Amino acid sequence: MADSIIQLKDISVIFKDEQKELTAVKDVNLEIEKGDIYGVIGYSGAGKSTLVRVINLLQKPTKGTVQVNQQQLLDLDESKLRQARKKIGMIFQHFNLMKSRTVLNNVEYPLLRESISKSDRQDKARKLLELVGLAEFENAYPDQLSGGQKQRVAIARALANDPEVLISDEATSALDPKTTMSILKLLKHLNQQLGVTIVLITHEMQAIKTICHNVAVMEKGQIIERGPVASVFTEPQQPLTKDFVDTSTNVKEALARIGNDPQISKLDENQRLITLSFVGQSSKQSLISELARKLNVDANILFANVDQIDGISVGTMIAILTGTPDTLKQAVSLLTENGVKITEVKSSALKEDVAND
Amino acid sequence: MINLLPNVIHMKDQFITATWETIYMTFLSAIIAGVIGLALGVLLVVSQKHGILEDSIIYSFTDKTVNVLRSIPFIILLAVIAPLTNYIVGTTIGTTAALVPLIFGIFPFYARQVQNALLEIDPGVVEAAQSMGSSPIGIIFSVYLREGLPDIIRASTFTVISLVSLTTVAGAIGAGGLGDVAISIGYARFEGDVTVVAMLIILVLIFAIQIIGDRLAKHFEQF
Repeated sequence: MADSIIQLKDISVIFKDEQKELTAVKDVNLEIEKGDIYGVIGYSGAGKSTLVRVINLLQKPTKGTVQVNQQQLLDLDESKLRQARKKIGMIFQHFNLMKSRTVLNNVEYPLLRESISKSDRQDKARKLLELVGLAEFENAYPDQLSGGQKQRVAIARALANDPEVLISDEATSALDPKTTMSILKLLKHLNQQLGVTIVLITHEMQAIKTICHNVAVMEKGQIIERGPVASVFTEPQQPLTKDFVDTSTNVKEALARIGNDPQISKLDENQRLITLSFVGQSSKQSLISELARKLNVDANILFANVDQIDGISVGTMIAILTGTPDTLKQAVSLLTENGVKITEVKSSALKEDVAND
Repeated sequence: MINLLPNVIHMKDQFITATWETIYMTFLSAIIAGVIGLALGVLLVVSQKHGILEDSIIYSFTDKTVNVLRSIPFIILLAVIAPLTNYIVGTTIGTTAALVPLIFGIFPFYARQVQNALLEIDPGVVEAAQSMGSSPIGIIFSVYLREGLPDIIRASTFTVISLVSLTTVAGAIGAGGLGDVAISIGYARFEGDVTVVAMLIILVLIFAIQIIGDRLAKHFEQF
């Protein structure tokens, strides 16, 4: 693809010890388009951090090719590689700021060896601090800042060389949920304002949902599923992906709760327990009241959740439908026709689920 | 005064000379061994496994050399190194001749101290610098030596204090200085007050070094 800014081809990373070999990344192909916010999700040990370190060659791959900004990075000599790295910013889970330098000095550090004057350099650093909302902290030292503020300084520093790509390696994992949201918002803002392509590594689906357009799911060094966030989110194919989705929508928790309630798990013959998933348009229609009006089928809603994913509404509902066997069948087809995905939950399966947990 | 310090009272000039000799030996060898030790300490850290200039051959050679030199007791080193001292300085007697064994006695120790100070630096900070396109030289000066400065100063203070102690050992075999006065006059002639005063002057020197070192370390750690 002409406008893809990152192209990883057949990447494998094998760590060799005296005794054993560990394959951290196995035959991964990854293409990321310019301007995208691309998420890579997986549990720790899945190889996602190793994979993204291949993008700026902090980790040399055992096999494969790395192309960033139309340059084959593995063909570059050391000094050209350093030049290329300046166009690939990176932020980290533990911020990695220099304790001995002030906030301003940290941000101007990447420019120290560039041929610009001190006043230009500091002007630029001040502008970046303004951009991340920390203008008044320029003379503070990192140890005087909160986690969220430190990450903002790290972001400003990563942007000092006007990078084309910004890699975020678990950048919000050490932060509380509120701070996480504000950092994610800042990243989205930077993506829109500066056009910087963002690669976001995380183990939280919430982060992916909030800002990513595309996502890759990693397990055991391989990408097991990928695509636009909305479609991966609504139709997860792999068990691990389903797991991430369920955790982030709380559906799993809700089903467990329902399974534990004896009154709900014991259904009459004219009742059915179902989960409904709907995307985009179908979330705007008043289907539930239509069921009652047209088919005389009542819906007892036990759980409902609506998310905004990449600008599209995605919802999940767990409900007990009550009607005659005939009208229940019609109800299901009415919902399906309107783009709602129906999964029946057997009460026996519920119990098993709970037992397994 | 005469009763308290019967011998010292006649040796004022000798004490002043000896003090200057000790200061001369300590600081000149500290500067030379400091440069060598600092360079080796940095070399150990950058050449170690996963270091920014990983090189197992250089690392293991440096590591072993430092270990071997550190294991030699100083009084034996003085004797063993005498031919080299004679070759470099032309004599094995006197303060300048003492510099050679002092430097060899202290730089391996200092190299380890520097290595430990630099290992305290978060590897993540080094990785961040690499990700920003810093060169190895840039990382050594702008990250390692800068971030590690307070710890390096503390290690240096500690090393200089050990060095004062080594100068007195060297003094015992003809290097001069306060050690020489304490042993060959105070101890050998049973002039106890000479030994005590030599010790007191050494203590004052050590306290002064400690205070200056602590102040400097604090100054560079105001964050």
